[in-house]
Amino acid sequence: MIVAPFATAEDGIAREAAMFQAGKPAMLLWQAEDHALVLPSAVARRATLQPYLHETRAAGYQVVPRGTGGGIVPQGPCTLNLAMVLPHGPGFSMEDGYRLICGTLAEALTRFDIDTQTGACPGAFCDGTWNVTVAGRKLAGTAQRVRATPCGRVSLLHAAILMHLPDPGHWAEMCLLHQAAFPSEPTLRPEAHTTIAALMSEAPRHQKSFPGALIRAAEDRLISLTLREEEAA
Amino acid sequence: MATDIIIPSDLWDGDEECVITAWLASDNAQVTEGALIAEIMTAKVQYEILAPASGTLSITKAQDEVAAKGDVIGAVS
Repeated sequence: MIVAPFATAEDGIAREAAMFQAGKPAMLLWQAEDHALVLPSAVARRATLQPYLHETRAAGYQVVPRGTGGGIVPQGPCTLNLAMVLPHGPGFSMEDGYRLICGTLAEALTRFDIDTQTGACPGAFCDGTWNVTVAGRKLAGTAQRVRATPCGRVSLLHAAILMHLPDPGHWAEMCLLHQAAFPSEPTLRPEAHTTIAALMSEAPRHQKSFPGALIRAAEDRLISLTLREEEAA
Repeated sequence: MATDIIIPSDLWDGDEECVITAWLASDNAQVTEGALIAEIMTAKVQYEILAPASGTLSITKAQDEVAAKGDVIGAVS
């Protein structure tokens, strides 16, 4: 099984957290069955947001806090998650982490003749400098968590890849929560995004091959970097 | 003698500032060396800040304040 199925996004995030705590090189490709909206713990704690979170839950969508930064991310069948855990020395910066996970996605998509870039994408969910984009539209968002250990640092690198757009109800709840949490940011626009389904619409069988290509690309990079870190230690 | 809690200067390459997203121990609380006491965030990266020594925590930069690499955000004495 290439993609680990979890009933809820909370379960998938808990597995990522366990991998992060273990602190050993690891990767996980996962998808949740239930629809949820995931947001940074720091945002979820805001008192002013609590009424909106209550409304989102009442509408039938789980609200799940996560330990990385950024904005609100839709979880469920629409999203494929790639998590990579990498122990490393102090020379491995935030930018190195982003280059690693964005490069992994780029390499996997190259196998399907899809070229990617990185950059901000106004109107996209959880916008940031290290989005993976195709022709200016956001395909994936990335984030990281870093902790210090007695043996060095450990990074959890995460990418949320849009397989298809969230269904209309899910999208509407995300927009409402986004406006409440980030009132100064642009409104979310569906046309600011692209998806694996859209990019591979002419060859649907590629959609089934994509997770395998992604895990192979992640494995290659993780092994290569782990060996480099061991040699440097 | 107090030990400063400093945001490490090698966490990221650029000059971006970060936000202290959480203090996980209170001002004047007793903390143990190596315990997770704070979280900071920049560019969608959350970093854990550990207590550099055991003793009494003194917080100088509060939650939601902005800080730069190398800034002292508290001390343990």
